[in-house]
Amino acid sequence: MKQIIPFVILFFVLTSCQKEKMTIGTNVSETFYLDNNEASMRLLVEGNTASKTFLLFVHGGPGSSSYFYNTDYISQNIENKYAVVYWDQRNAGGSQGNSNGDHLNLPQMTEDLKKVIQLIKYRYGQDSGIFILGHSFGGLLTASFMTKDDNQSMVKGWIFADGSHNYPLNDTLTRQMLLTVGQQQIVLNKNVSNWKTIVDYCKKHTGSFTFEESVQLTSYAEDAETYFEEVKEIDLATLIDYDPVQYGWPVTSILFNLNYSTNASFNRDLAKTEFSTKLGVVTTPTLLLYGKYDFICPGGLEEDVFNRINTTDKKIVISPISGHNIMLQDESFFCKEVNAFIESHK
Amino acid sequence: MRFLKLYLILVISSCSIPCFSQSIDSVWVEKKSSNLSVSYISSLIYPGAKLGIELPVNAIYISKIGKSGKTKDFTKDRFVTANLSWYHHPAFNDNVYLSVGWTMRRTKSNGFLTEFSPEVGLSRTFLGGTTYQVDDNGNVSIKKCAGYYYALVSVGGGIGYDFSKTKRQPFSIFSKFNVFMLFPYNSTIYLRPVLEVGLIYKPVNFLSLKVKSKSRKK
Repeated sequence: MKQIIPFVILFFVLTSCQKEKMTIGTNVSETFYLDNNEASMRLLVEGNTASKTFLLFVHGGPGSSSYFYNTDYISQNIENKYAVVYWDQRNAGGSQGNSNGDHLNLPQMTEDLKKVIQLIKYRYGQDSGIFILGHSFGGLLTASFMTKDDNQSMVKGWIFADGSHNYPLNDTLTRQMLLTVGQQQIVLNKNVSNWKTIVDYCKKHTGSFTFEESVQLTSYAEDAETYFEEVKEIDLATLIDYDPVQYGWPVTSILFNLNYSTNASFNRDLAKTEFSTKLGVVTTPTLLLYGKYDFICPGGLEEDVFNRINTTDKKIVISPISGHNIMLQDESFFCKEVNAFIESHK
Repeated sequence: MRFLKLYLILVISSCSIPCFSQSIDSVWVEKKSSNLSVSYISSLIYPGAKLGIELPVNAIYISKIGKSGKTKDFTKDRFVTANLSWYHHPAFNDNVYLSVGWTMRRTKSNGFLTEFSPEVGLSRTFLGGTTYQVDDNGNVSIKKCAGYYYALVSVGGGIGYDFSKTKRQPFSIFSKFNVFMLFPYNSTIYLRPVLEVGLIYKPVNFLSLKVKSKSRKK
């Protein structure tokens, strides 16, 4: 019995620990969770909450994690001015749950995003200004959010970074870019054997892509940016550099969530999803960023968004040295553009 | 038919040779005390603790004559174990789990021991931060005791030293490496390595149970 007493005490300590704690300051770091429809999603808020301005990262994947965006550079160059919200979507990163795979779909995630914003405003004040930044798959999720009901009124700005709002168009643009750049590289005698394989595939697969073709094109696109020396490679060593142990990353959770979400059946539905036809409703100021060497979500996607949204307050900028991860591969460019956009619209 | 008989005799005799080579000298029933264990568990840098009880099931005392002619004595103990564990992973979760297991321990006469133990159990996590719910009207509330129940499977193996063998002290120290799996975790699994360092206390008479013991000479 004596052995059980400390655990009983511990139980009450743990349950009483889950009391609301929020900090308004210039160097904040706090984690809380949003529980919605069988998923508990991790939110890490870091930086200057006193600014009442929040940059919300909507990560890629599906199934990646916001941990990857939390770099020292962003801490030193954005978090010092504004608060940054690192949100792990359902079945991703440090988010937790039981048998919740049935709820892993775009409408549910769009609802999650809306509730994340409502929660930030609840915690830090309804007058908080929120900017959402969609990266890669996060582009599709933010496009879904921005074009649904009156959601866009909840945010002050939309940042679209190496994003995709139209997966069929994405496949077409990826193939086109792989084919064009590949043929140029072969003429220049650079990585000829690799490019030949890619160019041959693109010549054989010309359109109306199946899911398997889409996956193969993405795989070639991931490889393609590594053939250019000017593009900083993001690999396992980069992530180890983050020192995940020191920062308390739940590494196995991140890996198993990524594996599950990447292979989840809803990816087949996403492959047919597009928001180009709905973008006319967007009147929110928008910043579009992409890397010159992004084959995964080529710049044509940003141009499509730019041409379709119904606002004159929009800007499109290209990083000349970045691939698909502009916030990691061209950090100074990314922070400069994001800060300037937020500063002029907060 | 004659060949079949001969074949059967050969098969039976070939099976019986190794059986008879492990002769059991005696079997008896003895009362053995249960053990208590306490350990520090750590997954990478995240701390935790474990309390357990080991209920004896059987013991085999083996005396083996080596090639050099030297006799090696060791004991094989089997226990049913029950453990209550907890660890704290900041900003992720606290996990409290109850497990039952089957421990196979081999202790040499010089006190050195090795063990292997599979376990099954139930885990309850407590999320590492205030947990909110937002209803469809945007009303926010706090969810108390937010976390999840998971089924748990664990395997572990380790080494240690039994001070009762050489120094007549009623305890052992051990270090163990475990890997446990929680499921269903976000419709998949969650794996976690856990390093354990602990102490087993062997009271003289605590929850004593009658166990079948064997003495065997090889």
